[in-house]
Amino acid sequence: MNQNTKIILALLALAASASAAALLIPKEGSRHPVAHITLDGELVQEIDLDRVGTAYSFQLTGASGLTNTILVEPGRIRVLESDCPDQICVRQGAIADGTVPIVCLPNRLVIEIVGGGEVFDAATG
Amino acid sequence: MKRIFFRRLTGLAVAAAVCLSLAACQRQTEVKTQIFAMDTVMSITLYGTDQKACEEALNQAVDRIYALEALLSVTRTGSEIYAVNHAGGEWTRLSPDTAALLEGALALCDLTGGALDVTAYPAVRAWGFTTGEHRIPSSAELAQLAARIDYTQVEQNEDNSSVRLPQDMELDLGSVAKGYVGDCLVQLLESFDGVDGALLDLGQSTIQALGPRSDGTPWRIGIQDPAGEGYLGVLELSGKAMGTSGGYQRYFEEDGVRYWHILDPATAAPARAGLAAVAVAGPSGLVCDGLSTALFVMGLNQASSLISELSRSGYEAIFLMDDGSVALTPGMESSFTLAKGYEDREVTVLP
Repeated sequence: MNQNTKIILALLALAASASAAALLIPKEGSRHPVAHITLDGELVQEIDLDRVGTAYSFQLTGASGLTNTILVEPGRIRVLESDCPDQICVRQGAIADGTVPIVCLPNRLVIEIVGGGEVFDAATG
Repeated sequence: MKRIFFRRLTGLAVAAAVCLSLAACQRQTEVKTQIFAMDTVMSITLYGTDQKACEEALNQAVDRIYALEALLSVTRTGSEIYAVNHAGGEWTRLSPDTAALLEGALALCDLTGGALDVTAYPAVRAWGFTTGEHRIPSSAELAQLAARIDYTQVEQNEDNSSVRLPQDMELDLGSVAKGYVGDCLVQLLESFDGVDGALLDLGQSTIQALGPRSDGTPWRIGIQDPAGEGYLGVLELSGKAMGTSGGYQRYFEEDGVRYWHILDPATAAPARAGLAAVAVAGPSGLVCDGLSTALFVMGLNQASSLISELSRSGYEAIFLMDDGSVALTPGMESSFTLAKGYEDREVTVLP
């Protein structure tokens, strides 16, 4: 094998592994579960659930005037209390992966988790 | 000899470089949005080679959703359904969309022997599911409400452009409206040249896929565990619609008993037939949506004979039983897998 051949072989190997990497590396950079909280479509908070040491809660009031109390725990998040009439958001309990977002329709609150676990295109239930 | 080898190597290197650049630009443009409409949150994802076309298609899709919502809402005073329900027994003219949806819905009521009934709205209201002020009607009241549920009383004129209801009845197309919206959106998106595929999540209970994902593999849909926080299984979906009905999302509890919003038209009370949820996949969103409700009401025995008749039209179902077991129609077997932690669930494939 002469010098040129070696260089080309090396380039070939590099190109092959680079294209394999480009195809295989998932789009999501981080595998941490991160909660995205939106009110009427506007992102109001992002919380990396792997970095939550001790549980804490906070309140969010939407344009409707309704308030959701949100409980953040290590690796999971839930709506603890809400003054909405249907209580669907509270009853859903905690979420820890990207399967089903928590939605409070009356307050237009959505809590979605991205990254962490298997990422689905959608969820049903 | 060496020269030829060298040339071949160069050729391979060029091929690898082309491969690399293809891998880099294989990712097509993707546009997405999330909107509040029809009493739920909808997420729409489109992809294609033409960014402009995708953006335009997305805008038109959102406009179409709002336009259909304005026609079909049962609570909005300006909607066509509201007009029908408040016509005092007179004829009401319908737009082509409402007329087409009503025709499809009534055909489904027929097909399911009334397990789906689009005239159950007064009963849904009596239970408080429309307002959130839940109550349990007395058995006398339920008997009265059940007597008023009868889709065969809905009259359409010859060309289906007008409808008439008896005075004490009300129409609600909520069980099929989102599925119909999905069908309309797919039709709209298919007319755009630069749009290659889409996933329409019209509020979890209604999902519709136009084609596969941009990499050619099916969309992966997580199926929620009716009794837990996680997902129980995964359904691979490509170029099909999907409708899910379950008793675990909209419900209330009193004295330890759970009352959910899917009512049995025969009793006007929550349908209890041993099923926690039913998911139906097939070509039409309208049919998947309405069928999942009807199968939930029927229970596994009756439901499995109806769905097996419909398998030649491309409809398949997943039944999640109250006892935690899973039943699948034969055509579902290859596209459904249990999630991690659920591998010990009993899975039966129906005949």
